[in-house]
Amino acid sequence: MKNKIKVHRAIHDMTQADLAERIGVSRQTINAMEKNKYVPSTVLALKIAKLFETPLEEIFLLEEND
Amino acid sequence: MKTNYLLPHKYKRIGWVLFVLGLIAGGYMILTGYEQDVLNMTVFSIHSDDAIFGEAKGFFQLVENDILDELIAVFIIVGGLFISFSRERIEDEFVYKLRKDSLVWAVIFNYIVLLLAVLFVYGFTFFDVLVFNMFTPLIFFVFRFHFMKYKSQSHEE
Repeated sequence: MKNKIKVHRAIHDMTQADLAERIGVSRQTINAMEKNKYVPSTVLALKIAKLFETPLEEIFLLEEND
Repeated sequence: MKTNYLLPHKYKRIGWVLFVLGLIAGGYMILTGYEQDVLNMTVFSIHSDDAIFGEAKGFFQLVENDILDELIAVFIIVGGLFISFSRERIEDEFVYKLRKDSLVWAVIFNYIVLLLAVLFVYGFTFFDVLVFNMFTPLIFFVFRFHFMKYKSQSHEE
């Protein structure tokens, strides 16, 4: 799975730490997701989409091998 | 992240103190020899066998014993458990995954090392392998968990 968290974070002018604090996770978690090393739970994905006021599919995208 | 088996975060620091003290004292004991009669006292034993250490043989009795090695083992085990199973400052689903992955890794790695030791270590040195193996699952876990946590902390881009 790919994600565009970094892009949306830039649009909203947030640092990793800002985003981490807003959705109640550690900065490592944001970092790991942006580097595609961690696939977030559905709950966390929904929280991120809600914060960015964007549909889930705009941020998280399936890849061919998923 | 709700988990019902984790201790509060403050236990982590207590854990590190016990763990490091235990490892240092344990290392010293391995270099200088077990049972040096420094903390001799009478202890209750469920089973005691005179084959190795010279205590009286039998079940449910009081025996003389140097409790230094017992203390060291308790420090390392309790300290290691406190470190491993205390909440992180921010305990979220990624930390939860790191902890689980590290546990699996530590068990597999530990048994690979033990297998190699079983196959290639002979004689009385194998006793040392058994002693180390009481603590290596915890040590491997603590090392791997903190290494992975440190690695994922890399600079912001």
